Amino acid sequence: MICTPRLLLIRIAAVLSVCIPVCLFAQQPVFSPEPQDSLKLARLLALYEQQYKSDIELLPSQYRKDIEEAYKLRWNNIREKFDDKEIYTDSAAQNYLNRLIAEIRRVNPDLPLGFTCYFSRTPVPNAEYIGEGIILFNMGLFTRLNNEGEVIFILCHEISHYVLRHSEHRIEQYVATLNSKETQEALRSIKKSEYQKGQQLESLTKGLTFNSRRHSRDHESQADSMAVELMRHTSYRVSNAMSALALLDTIDNDPLNMSVHLPDVFNSPEFPFKKRWISYDQGLLGGHAVLKKEATADSLKTHPDCQKRIALLTTLTKSWSQPAARNFLADSIQFLSLQNRFRYETIEYCYQSKNFTRSLFLTLELLAIHSDDPWLVTETGLVFNGMYNAQKKHALSKVADLPGPYFTENYNLVLQFIQNLYLDEMISINYYFMKKHDPQLNFYKPFHTTFETTQQLFKN
Amino acid sequence: MDHLPRRGQFFFSLILIFLASFFAKQATAQDKLSFDKVYTVYLRNSGTITQQGQIKGYFFLYQSDKVDKHTNEYTLQILDENLNKVSSIKFEDSKTLSLLESAYDGSSISFLFKNVESNTLDMKIYTLDGKLKFTYSRPFDKQTEDLMKQYAAMHTDQGTNKNVFDIRGSGYVSVLPLRDGSQRSYEVDFYSSQSKKQWTYTPMDEEKYALAEYLGSTDSLVIIEVMKKNRALSGQVTSHLVGLNFITRKKVFEIEEGREQYKIVPANVSSLPNGNILVMGSYYDKNESIVKDYGLGIAMYELSGSGKVINKSYNSWEGDFSRFLHTGSNGKIDDIGYLYVHRMIRTPDNNLFVVCEGYKKQASAGGIALSVLVGAPSGATKVVVTDLVIMQFDPQYKITGATIYPKTHNTAVGGAASDYNSQHALAAVIKALGGFDYEFTTGEPDNSNFTICYKNSEKTSDYKGKTFNSIRYTGTKFTTDKIELKTNASDSRVFPAKPGSVMILEFFKKEKKVDLRLEKLG
Repeated sequence: MICTPRLLLIRIAAVLSVCIPVCLFAQQPVFSPEPQDSLKLARLLALYEQQYKSDIELLPSQYRKDIEEAYKLRWNNIREKFDDKEIYTDSAAQNYLNRLIAEIRRVNPDLPLGFTCYFSRTPVPNAEYIGEGIILFNMGLFTRLNNEGEVIFILCHEISHYVLRHSEHRIEQYVATLNSKETQEALRSIKKSEYQKGQQLESLTKGLTFNSRRHSRDHESQADSMAVELMRHTSYRVSNAMSALALLDTIDNDPLNMSVHLPDVFNSPEFPFKKRWISYDQGLLGGHAVLKKEATADSLKTHPDCQKRIALLTTLTKSWSQPAARNFLADSIQFLSLQNRFRYETIEYCYQSKNFTRSLFLTLELLAIHSDDPWLVTETGLVFNGMYNAQKKHALSKVADLPGPYFTENYNLVLQFIQNLYLDEMISINYYFMKKHDPQLNFYKPFHTTFETTQQLFKN
Repeated sequence: MDHLPRRGQFFFSLILIFLASFFAKQATAQDKLSFDKVYTVYLRNSGTITQQGQIKGYFFLYQSDKVDKHTNEYTLQILDENLNKVSSIKFEDSKTLSLLESAYDGSSISFLFKNVESNTLDMKIYTLDGKLKFTYSRPFDKQTEDLMKQYAAMHTDQGTNKNVFDIRGSGYVSVLPLRDGSQRSYEVDFYSSQSKKQWTYTPMDEEKYALAEYLGSTDSLVIIEVMKKNRALSGQVTSHLVGLNFITRKKVFEIEEGREQYKIVPANVSSLPNGNILVMGSYYDKNESIVKDYGLGIAMYELSGSGKVINKSYNSWEGDFSRFLHTGSNGKIDDIGYLYVHRMIRTPDNNLFVVCEGYKKQASAGGIALSVLVGAPSGATKVVVTDLVIMQFDPQYKITGATIYPKTHNTAVGGAASDYNSQHALAAVIKALGGFDYEFTTGEPDNSNFTICYKNSEKTSDYKGKTFNSIRYTGTKFTTDKIELKTNASDSRVFPAKPGSVMILEFFKKEKKVDLRLEKLG
């Protein structure tokens, strides 16, 4: 299917008008989260558990207990993804993903059948092979990509990890290292030492960690190389591999300036925005410090630099010719439709997972584009009501992140904003924010209900 | 210093396993070793990092290695106000090292160490990226024994530093009590954070008994209150307000209690926007004893930077306070007893709030019975701490209101100590024993919003157990909040944190887990 820019625009318009179900407001569709299919999740989990148990049976006898322990940790992580309903069960989205996988399989018939790819509802821009043949493609990454070709590269990269058994090799390597004669002798010698145990252990673990991380970086390079090989004969442009990596390199950059956006959203004539709400201490101890990179940081990275990866793949694919390759093949309309939906679904997932500040941050990002969106306005109200109740019970820390040097500047500012609010300010801000939308959005029942709750809390 | 906490240290003293990347927690075969089986680190000290009385962060000093027979390697971990690890400093020092206090002046962090091996108190000043900037040492000897006793004592009721304070970006000051036989004195040490400069103020007083307490600082002055036993007055204790200029290194003023119409014992100072200093304290008739008598009321003095009294105001128990509280001429309030002033808070609109807690003697049934049985004085009375009282003063420092916040009247002192006659001595004993329920006050640096925190215990049909309570001033009104400390944790305690928040420490005995979290007050 060829997609010209004009045709693409027409399709985008079509998507925006039809893709989100029900409830019309001024001819605009209102988002409604896809209900998660608990039965499907339980069925899949049981299936994977069976597979995990079979895998355990087949483990080698040498260091079996240690390897089994590591597999158990990996399995617990998988189980959590299902228990937390992180796996997205919507069949339309799953079918779309299956179509992309089918295209990869079509040109790579030797690929094993034992893997499946799912969308994960997290906003973290990442994709991951998590073991037992499960590849997770996070919604937070999908929404950032430019086209299907980039999605295909990332899928091929994760399939390569699966095919090359990187996760299993890592476990084996770790167990073998720990049990090796050299490591055990070194540990015995450290144990016997009276002095400088810490220094000796540090130098031992540093060596082992550097080694392990180097292997990890090698695995990434291998997966990149294999990914472009898998992609080569598909109908997608291999150049998308490089553009995807370039995008990953800058994925943490937030274009939105929260110091301007927050006052825009939460200012009201009755309750004007106060500068104090977004002020913070710029020193080391204020939560916004820029920490100095340690000298060994590069050696401890699990992934090579994106620029190095791009250079490697550019060299590798330089002579490849793909005259008929495209950026979109399966369904460009659905690609855009899913991107749009996922921006909302990640907000809903964060809210359900009780990460209210992340949910608020994502909502604010979307409110910058759709300031009167009924679902987004309601979500803001819900999050504020939730934080108010949590703070009242002295349990805000369970639903809100604290500012930290490891977060992006914009997210940190939202966190600081929440930290700077006293309880009465929190509910007043919410009340006047909701009130601004009151007559217009009253038709939308969730807004009406949420605003009623806000009013009650405000009056109390 | 508010050591995170004495009781809490027990929790932290649990062996902390050093996790080395993902290599930790493995290996179970009998003769096989894993990383956690060969090496442990121990927490030596922990506490808060303060700036101008505000909590800015936390420190944890670990013994991370033994270097040789005499030397250990230490790791000093610094957490910011949100409990993020922001710096880790490794250094080698004597194995007898302990960390006493820490303060922060915005551009550097200071740590006061006690080194038993070298008999020194070492003030180390670090840059924010963890580089040692300056070390200042002073001998640690018999003279400073009182100081060490202070550090060994359990409680600081404001959750802030005892002896080390930042002086607004210029460095740090410490007020050290000294003792030589029966003679008691003090010294004030200044440590620059800008260049390696240190100087000590040693009083040239004739008196053999002088106790000093840091009250506050301005841009150029450090203000201390000194209590002296005056020879000329047959050993009577007199109070002096001393201002030391840390730039010119000179004593600027020393105001003796009796210079004005009444004697005044300063309890608190704060700097005013016009550069003047506001001093608050109890006032006494000239013939009254500041130790034995309770005083006539509360006085406010406004001083210039040179120590000249610009303005003064007196609020008497009998006249002014009795309009708002049922006060007798001796200052005793019905059901509440006498008031101990914990904190004076001046808001940007020039109102002044004074936080007090009541205390009074009560007959002790157990004490009386014991006296009768053994025939010896064993404390027929006990002292209870009563309600919290917040008094409001207008910009002319006249009282305009007082609110009583009722709480359970808890026994603070029992036994013979409670039979003291002097109300002041009683208050001092209660404070020294950590018997008051008032904990600390947190708030915005300009006091536009502040929260007064205190502990309590409740026995109601809904809840039985310890509570942590707060009274917040919003700028226009007071609101209250309460945290019930009875949770599924084996023990929980509350510590001061950044403005508007508290740090809750929960210990889970079964899981051998300590959970630290910051919670905003309602």
